[in-house]
Amino acid sequence: MIRARWLLPPLLAMLVLFQRGYAQSQDRFDHWQHRDLFPKCTSCHAGVEDQAETLWPKAAACADCHDGVIQKTVSWRPPSAPPPTNLRFTHRDHIEAVRRTIHADSLLDCRSCHAEPAADRMQVRLAVAQNCLDCHGIRAPHLSAPDSTCSTCHVTLAQAVRLTRADVARFPVPESHKAPGFELKGHGRLARGTGNSLVSAACATCHARDFCSECHVNAPEVATIQALAPDPRSLAIKAELKAPSSHADPGFLRRHGSAARKSAVSCATCHTQESCLACHVAQPTLALALPAAGPGRGKGAVIHRARPASHGDDFAELHGPVANARPETCSGCHVRPQCLDCHRPNAADATPGYHPAGFLSRHPAAAYTRETSCSDCHNTGQFCADCHVNAGLSAKGTLDAGYHDAKRSFLLGHGQAARQNLESCVACHAERDCLTCHSALGGRRFNPHGPGFDPATLRRKNSQMCTACHGALIPDSP
Amino acid sequence: MKQPVHRALLSGIALAGFASVAGAQGYQLRVETRAQTAAYRGVRADSVLATEVRTAPTGGLQTTDGFFVRCPAGSAFCSFFRPGAYRKGGPLVSSVDLTMWGMGVRGLSLRVNGRAGVDLGESDVWPGTDPAVQLLEAYAEHAIRRVTTRLGRQLLANRLGIVGIDGGRAIARAGAGLEVEAYVGLGMARATTLPVSSAVLNPLDDFQPRRRQLVAGGAIGWSDRRGDVRIDYQREVDRQSRQFASERAAISGEVRPLERWSLAAGAEYDLANTWFGNADAALRYVSPLLTAAVGARQYRPHFDLWTIWGAFSPVPYHAVNASIWLRPLKRLELRGRWEQYAFSPTETATPLVQVDNDGWRFGAGASFSPSDIWTIDVGYREEYGPGASSHGFEGSVSAVPTQSLTLTVYGSTLDRPLEFRFEETGVKVLGLDAEWRPSPRVRLAFGGAHYAEDRRRPDASGFDWNQTRLSARVTLLFGSGADHMPLPRAIRTRPGAGS
Repeated sequence: MIRARWLLPPLLAMLVLFQRGYAQSQDRFDHWQHRDLFPKCTSCHAGVEDQAETLWPKAAACADCHDGVIQKTVSWRPPSAPPPTNLRFTHRDHIEAVRRTIHADSLLDCRSCHAEPAADRMQVRLAVAQNCLDCHGIRAPHLSAPDSTCSTCHVTLAQAVRLTRADVARFPVPESHKAPGFELKGHGRLARGTGNSLVSAACATCHARDFCSECHVNAPEVATIQALAPDPRSLAIKAELKAPSSHADPGFLRRHGSAARKSAVSCATCHTQESCLACHVAQPTLALALPAAGPGRGKGAVIHRARPASHGDDFAELHGPVANARPETCSGCHVRPQCLDCHRPNAADATPGYHPAGFLSRHPAAAYTRETSCSDCHNTGQFCADCHVNAGLSAKGTLDAGYHDAKRSFLLGHGQAARQNLESCVACHAERDCLTCHSALGGRRFNPHGPGFDPATLRRKNSQMCTACHGALIPDSP
Repeated sequence: MKQPVHRALLSGIALAGFASVAGAQGYQLRVETRAQTAAYRGVRADSVLATEVRTAPTGGLQTTDGFFVRCPAGSAFCSFFRPGAYRKGGPLVSSVDLTMWGMGVRGLSLRVNGRAGVDLGESDVWPGTDPAVQLLEAYAEHAIRRVTTRLGRQLLANRLGIVGIDGGRAIARAGAGLEVEAYVGLGMARATTLPVSSAVLNPLDDFQPRRRQLVAGGAIGWSDRRGDVRIDYQREVDRQSRQFASERAAISGEVRPLERWSLAAGAEYDLANTWFGNADAALRYVSPLLTAAVGARQYRPHFDLWTIWGAFSPVPYHAVNASIWLRPLKRLELRGRWEQYAFSPTETATPLVQVDNDGWRFGAGASFSPSDIWTIDVGYREEYGPGASSHGFEGSVSAVPTQSLTLTVYGSTLDRPLEFRFEETGVKVLGLDAEWRPSPRVRLAFGGAHYAEDRRRPDASGFDWNQTRLSARVTLLFGSGADHMPLPRAIRTRPGAGS
């Protein structure tokens, strides 16, 4: 039989060691090696038994043996301040509690908390949390204990003022946090408090409002989050905001508008109005349902403007019909200056983007059989002919110079090339060059009209054009 | 013309200044200045006495200093082209784009877009820098839920191309996706901000209208979740002759019958020439792994009726094409594009000159990003068709060492035979672009490229000449509130269009 009063000193010694918490260094005193020197724990940890004494032995006590002669010297010094911890008890309170609850026939001793079951004396370590749980009747692993039991031993993070950011960063991660979907949906349900409490005590043990605000941009409006105290140390635990799987669907970008209309509150969890404005150039009505970024809110989801799935890599070439069919859709994300970056009439600068580097050297081949219409963006007179005149590539009254020298009789057989590439011809030739031969008023009177020519309609639309070759005598048929 | 332009631009600047002091207003201002140096060398027509030419090794005639000549029968002179002078251009262009709103009238906004340009080069040859100040757009817009009206100088960009007007435009949205648009105004020349009567647009001293044309048109469109369709009509009338300069209609649309599938198509019809202009249709499939498209199209140029070119019956070509983008790995993209085209019969009898009727284009490439920092892009393209062909490689390596800095080294090769010239040009390009964004609203860019050009001809006109081109760009964004858009970075990851 062990009388209860004999149990108190070792029990208090155990609590002192427990109080060391997470920050205990690894090069601690090797109790097992000294097991034969110290028959009692209180030989060194007298403060557990007597509050007038310190909890730690004096450094000089070590030197009794570690004097450099008997044993090598050691440089250990007792801690100068209480260790950082988030444990709820104090020695005095716990002593009183133990005195009230421990019965005379109890078998508790130091090992009850500071050693694994069945360990020998002096095979001690920091308090084994499971021993605490067992003693307090909590039948669950430490980090899976029910929400209501955390406060049995722990204060909230905000109350654990001696913990540093580094201490917080080393908090162990509960198994529940590793479950799939915990970040997106699971944690919200667990975070709600029970009874009169708005927030779970389990959450409050390790987290504070700042941590939640990292992701929840609507934190100021969420009562559960507001029930937590603010504490910037909580940011030491890094939370990664992951997009829901629905956002990865290629069609999400197209559908997100209607989804937002149905439940803007869901969007507001992670998105501020800035999210909308990252892409939408105007202020969409739906954006007003989201909180505006500002003090007290986290940055939430960071939206990077990206090409939607519908804008494949060929979209630059194919966007014309789409853009023309539904221009207001484009204006959701684009402003007119962006269109004009490429569709800029006669840009006098090196606008990057549409034409590749060195296109000036390549453009004759591209211009002959146009993959795209040059004249959509370039006025042929101001842009093409102007340059060609400066380069000497223009016909000025004579066609004898033989520029097309790879075709010996090009002038006599240019018809096919002209009808196929008339835009190229007019980049160097004026109408008078052609009228030298193709006029009904003089010259060789060659008929220029070809397939598809509709004289009646053309005459009705603009008879003045006909007079350039026919004068006042416009024939009824070519 | 310059005075009204100056007045309008000054008004815009004044409005910008007003915006900066009127606290209740919102505004967005983009100021950009670009400069570059470039040079080119053309040809110069020359002649020589027919008695002074000799037979070249190739069997033709050439000058004593080795230039091929053309000697018309019975003429005492032979003509030829010598290399032209080096022409150096140095365009410096500053553009201002300002949008203002919140002036006490709900839905009212003002927009000004203008630019000033000057050629700092010694030859003053760069196109588009005359006149020095140009006003692209300057209009007031009033937009409410059902109606948008716009008054002032504005560019109309639709299926029929880009044309500017000084006039008004109204868009009514009737609900259920229905939209109706109408506009009228005095037009400007196609794809420019100058009137058709401007001498700048007539470097060849050709026929030219004396007065600006009247542009009027409208559109009706309908949009739904599964598709969109829009019909455009536009006429341009010469106010002097009171005859049409152009009258066209167009239809365009897109159908999205299934997720990831879309069919986009459009066509233009020239009501004066009674023929179809450009038309195209493309079926596309887009998924994270694969983007593929097949299409068909017709291309036929459009000429205004104040020219005679339409009467020369330009024929269209018809093309079928296919493209594919494959992303087998997250950081790897493979791409290919092919098009085959053939011209309609020209109904010309030219036994002396054989010209191809068809051609093709092909391109393939790959982009690989071994990390978030590096992007490597390589490509090959080749085209062959009537008049000219070209083929060459191109590649680039881009690095984004920090969020604010992008560096790109690029290079390309090109061989370009011309069908109607004894000339094949080879060009090798090696360049570097650097872009720095010290803040989301500031972008600085510098670039330089060296062009090694080799003109291969069997006579003295085949000359080599190299040059280095430099460019610089500063872009500034100013704005109120959060209603701004960061400038996205540009990384070369695909072959440029127009190849």
